[in-house]
Parts: sequence; structure tokens; C-alpha cells
Amino acid sequence: MKRIFGIIIWLGIAMLGAGAFAKIAFDRGEPLNATWFVVAATCCYLVAYRLYSAFVAAKVLALDDTRATPSERHDDGRDFVPTNKWVLFGHHFAAIAGPGPLVGPTLAAQFGYLPGTLWLIAGAAFAGCVQDFVILFCSIRRDGKSVGQMAREEVSERGGFIAQLAVLAIMTILLAVIGLVVVNALKSSPWATFTLAMTIPIAILLGLYLRFVRPGRVLEASVMGVALVLFVVVAGQWVADSPSWSRVFTLSGVALAFSIIAYGFAASALPVWLLLAPRDYLSAFIKAGAIFSLAAGILIVRPQVLMPPLTRFIDGTGPVFAGKIFPFCFITIACGAISGFHSLISSGTTPKMILRESHARFIGYGAMLLESFVGVMAMVAACAMPPGVYFAINSPPSIVGNTGDAAAATISGWGYPLHAQTMAELAHKVGEITLWNRAGGAPSLAVGMAQIFSSTIGGERLLSIWYHFAIMFEALFILTVLDAGTRVGRFMVQDLGGRVWKPFGRTSWMPGVLLSSAIIVALWGYFLYQGVVDPLGGINSLWPLFGISNQLLAAVALVVATTILMKMGKLRWIWVTLLPMGWLVTITMTASYQKIFDANPRIGFLAYAKALAAQIAAAKIPAEKIAETQRLIFNQRLDAVVTGVLAFMILVLIVEALAHWYSILSRRKEIVLHESPYVATRWASDFSGTAHGDD
Amino acid sequence: MRSAANTAFRFLRQLGRRFWRGLREWCGDAAYERYLRSAVTHSGSSRTLTPAEFYVEQLNRCYSKPNRCC
Repeated sequence: MKRIFGIIIWLGIAMLGAGAFAKIAFDRGEPLNATWFVVAATCCYLVAYRLYSAFVAAKVLALDDTRATPSERHDDGRDFVPTNKWVLFGHHFAAIAGPGPLVGPTLAAQFGYLPGTLWLIAGAAFAGCVQDFVILFCSIRRDGKSVGQMAREEVSERGGFIAQLAVLAIMTILLAVIGLVVVNALKSSPWATFTLAMTIPIAILLGLYLRFVRPGRVLEASVMGVALVLFVVVAGQWVADSPSWSRVFTLSGVALAFSIIAYGFAASALPVWLLLAPRDYLSAFIKAGAIFSLAAGILIVRPQVLMPPLTRFIDGTGPVFAGKIFPFCFITIACGAISGFHSLISSGTTPKMILRESHARFIGYGAMLLESFVGVMAMVAACAMPPGVYFAINSPPSIVGNTGDAAAATISGWGYPLHAQTMAELAHKVGEITLWNRAGGAPSLAVGMAQIFSSTIGGERLLSIWYHFAIMFEALFILTVLDAGTRVGRFMVQDLGGRVWKPFGRTSWMPGVLLSSAIIVALWGYFLYQGVVDPLGGINSLWPLFGISNQLLAAVALVVATTILMKMGKLRWIWVTLLPMGWLVTITMTASYQKIFDANPRIGFLAYAKALAAQIAAAKIPAEKIAETQRLIFNQRLDAVVTGVLAFMILVLIVEALAHWYSILSRRKEIVLHESPYVATRWASDFSGTAHGDD
Repeated sequence: MRSAANTAFRFLRQLGRRFWRGLREWCGDAAYERYLRSAVTHSGSSRTLTPAEFYVEQLNRCYSKPNRCC
């Protein structure tokens, strides 16, 4: 009876989800209510978790709760700590949820709401969650080894080396592109710039308190920090209203880029307790608060989705970034559906803290579902504003025109009515000088969030406060990724340099620290500067490059997962990781090819370089702009080389893996699985971390 | 009626305690207490760190590997 009741409930959820999806996909009449998105996504996630993740856990991985996990065998109270599964879920989610699932779907909204929403949900259920879950499981069985170490041991030495290079490449491009998102969010905005700048002294104050006054009392310090941050969000308005202070905090894109580069260097070289860690605490609390508030806001306000399901830009002529739905929608969404970077977290801290193998399903698969839901909410926020406004904020002037009237005419000509006056009024309402040409996703998402929040609390009176709260929230946790990433990049550079010259590898040797920090900052700083001065807006070239490198790393992780499943004798089920891997390789290779060789200068790097060279040859470029144009040509060629190297790495890895799989299947080589030996757990079956204070 | 109210109160109090403990674990506030309870500390094989030493050591370890995602 109970079983039948369960089946009826799950059939009901599945049918409700299918109905909501049908409404989203086929409705062509009145604007759609956002509730349909929430219902469709929630039902799909529930069904995917209940059925697909259970199948992967039972049949493919055969999770074993009698086996002691690394946290039990190596419990040291530092790295290896048995942790309650809800707490670890929170840790894991806070680590994997970055700006990607907010920015990617916002940019992909240029195709309309449908392609992005479908990929966010399906991609997460069948690819992203599976990757996170399987890699977490593999790492648990190997004492918490990283994906690079597993690639080296289970695939080949070269496979491990490629994984390491991929991590460094993704790190460099990631840091540049998120830096660009911050630049475009703060450009010519004294209010937003002041608010973000003030988070630095607040973080230092917190750092000193946590180090010298009350060591490790994170909660009380964070409460004080969050209160101060909320105060400076409001105080930003007074700065913006004061002519003299406003001038100080009104910075150009280039000035902001150099400020961010200097900040990255400082955060990497200074002691971690002084700036980096306290900022991270602030960011974690504000991130959690803002995400839950957005979800609650969408449910309360139930906004209308004004963007059509498909726009005219599915033909590849999009103003935000050029390229057709395939492969660019998938490359752009990236982290909201599947992120290679997650494999680093799933094979980093989490496997060392997990209490039981069965928790890997809830933490690995479940946390990624929640991240995908964040992506769906970002899509709703972006699509809830009039499409004309969305394109006005996200399009560069080289596409829509240099003046408000010209841009409004261009966008209206696309079929999305817009008046220049509407943009001026909106900018005034949110307390900005202008909202034109603010590509990068952050400002349009902030406008969407502010409209949802202000419909819940405060009305239009508080629109400007909500807008700057949203900008501060996005910029704060983007900068947290930027400074933590720069520091990790510094360690990677020191690790590589230490192989050539030993003292350089010592993380406590100050000249080595300064030099390695300068190297990693110069690497991503160059790409950031290039993006800021790019007439096509920077996002057009940098975001696809980031998407390609991110998906490349996901392909590396899935190659490792497939190889391990093969070695475990799970040949019958390897399609679980093999199919997403094949899909990722296809989109990565297609996008790489198009970004390098496409004849359209807005898509192909080489075509753009050629077009610029032709303009110089035809004397169409003024003499004073020739040096700048030549630099632009060099940058395009550099981007082409970087893309080519990324594509080459994945090809080498695939060949390497295929050779290895052949030797496994033909039994030419003895199969060696590098799992830790089985040790039976000493914990009772109902143990949930009592001895460790988890109740 | 009164016993139902008591049960509800006890349930809410327990829920509140669990939430508070979970929050402290999640944000790192309880890290030092956890370290003091760990097996290594009890084994006496090495000197137990002070709260300030533990805090700095823990941060240095945490931020030397990828711990924040894109």
C-alpha cells in the first residue's frame, strides 16, 4: 500500500513537471508567469534526484556504508573531519556556487528563455550532477585525492599533466573574465565603486579582530561585518550625491581594471587572515542571504517573463556575444549545468569530511541541483525585464550605436521596442549615471533582482538601494573568487617554478611569494585589460574562452570517471559518464573551431584579426589608432592560440584515454585500481557525528 | 493541550539548537572545538595548538588549494 502511494506521488510530481515544461516550451500567447519555471525546475530536480541519482548510487557506484571513509580513518580535526551531512552540504554548496550560474544564464538569455532553461535543468541532471557525484565518490575511495592525481594514477602521467595545465588555464581565463564582469558593473558608478571599495577596510578590520581579539570567532565577526557592509551600501548614495566624493569614485574601465589587478596582487601576497579569509566570510553570508532572498522574491512576486522563448539571435548574430545556439548556448551557460571546476572541490575538501559513502549522493548530486536552480532564478531575473532594456544594458556601442537615440533605434529595429528616455529613467531610478553598454551580466541581473526585491519590500523608492545591494553582492563574491583563485594560482606557479629552482617553491620565501603573485596576476591581468579595451565589449571573446576551458576541465574529469568505472568492471553502466563526456567534447571542439576559424569577424578570432589588418592596409584607421589596432590584432591571434592549445589538450587526452581503454578492454594490461583498501567502519549505522558535536 | 504545547516547545528548542550548531559548524566558528575533540589531539602525539595558532594554520591550509568555484 505504502509502495503504491509512493508511486502515485512520484507520478504526480513527474506529471506536474511535464505540464509546467510544456507550458514553458509551447506557450506563445500572454507573457509567462515565472512560477512555471520554478515548478518545472523543482519537479525535474526531485524526479532526477529520486530516480537517476538513486540508480547511479546503487547500480553504477554501489555505495557501501560499511566502508570507513577517509574522515574516519584519518580524523585529525584539520583536513579530515567527520561532518554532519547537512553541514557538509552547506560547505560544498558554498564552495561550488560562484558567479558562473548567475552570469552565464543572464548572458544566454539573448537566445530567449527556452534554450538556456532546458540546458540548465537537463544538463545538470544528466551531466553536471553526475560529474560532481562520481568524482566525489572516486576521491572518497582514494583518501581524498585530487582529480589531477587520479588522472595521473588511473589514466596516465600525461593525463594528469593535462589536468594540471587545464586547471591553470581555466584559472587564468576565469579570473580575467570575472574581473571584467566587475569592471563593467562598477564602470562610471561612484555608488557601486565606493560600496565595494569599503568592503576592503571592513574585511581588514574583521581580519584583525579574528586574529588578535577573538581568534576564530567567525560568527560574531561576520555579523558585525555584514552590518557594516549593509551600512556602506546605503552610504554609497551619499557619496554619489556629493560632487567632490562622486568624482573620486567615478572610475573608467581601465582604471578599475588596474585597481582590481593591484587588489589581486595584494590579496595573494598578504597574509591570508588579513584580507582574503574575512572577505570570504562576508561573501559567504551575503551570498547565502541574497540567493535565498531571490528565491523567496520570485515566489512572492511571481514576475511575468517578458523575454520571448526564442529570440531572433538564435541565428548567431547576437549583440551580447556572437554565435549560434549550438554550441554557444552550452558554452555560455557552463557552470549552471556542468562545471569542470566543481571536480576540484569534489576531489578537494569535501571527500575528506564526508561521514559515509551514501552521503555522496546528497552532497555531490544534490548540491549541483541547487546550483542549477540558482541558474534558473538568474534566467528568470534576466528575462523578467523588457527585452529592449536587457539588450540595451548588455550590448556594446559598436553594435547598437554610440548615442542613446541610435542604440534605442537599433534595438527597436530588432523588434524589441525601446526609448532612450526609458533607459535614462531606469538609470535614474537605480541611482546610476547610465545603464547603456554594461555587458557582463552583473548590471542586468542586478536590475532584474532589484525589480523583484523592490516589488516585495519598499517599492520604487528603494529600487536604487536594492540595485546597489545586488551589485555589491555580485561584485563581493566575484572578488572572493578572484582573490582566492589568484592565491591558488600563485601556489601552482610556485609549485611549477620550484621544480626548476627549489627556493622558488618555498611558500614562505617572500621574494618567491611576490614574484609568483606578480606572474599569476600578470597572466590574468593581461586578458582582463584586453577585454576592457576590446571594442566588441570583451565579453564577446573572453566568456566563450572561459566556457571552453571550463567545459574542457569537465571533460577531463569525466574521462577520469569513465576510466575508473571501466576498471571497476562497470562496463555496462559507463554510458552514465561516457555520454556527457562525448557531448562536452563535441561542444568544446565545435566552439573552439568556430572561435578560431569562423569567417565572421565577431565569432572567429583570426577573421577579426584579418579584418582589422585589412582596415589598416586600406588606411581606414587614423594614424593615432594604428598602434592600438595592431595590439588588438595581436590579442585576437593570442586568443586563437590559447583556444587552439585548449582544443589540442582535449584531443591528446582523448587519444590517451582511448588507448588506455583499449588496453583495459582487450586485457593487454593488468587492471590496477588505485583504491584505498577496504576498512570496515567502527561507527554505528545511526552515527551522524555525535562525537563531533553534530548531535 | 498543555502537554502538546510542551512537546511543540521542546521540538522547536531542539530544532533551534541543531540549527545553531549547524550554522557554527558551517561557518567555521566551531572549528577549534572540533579540533580539540579530534583523535589526533587526544592521542597526545603533538602539541595542542592555541586558538590563534590553529586559526592561522587552518586558513593557510584552506587557501592553498581551490576552495571557491566559478
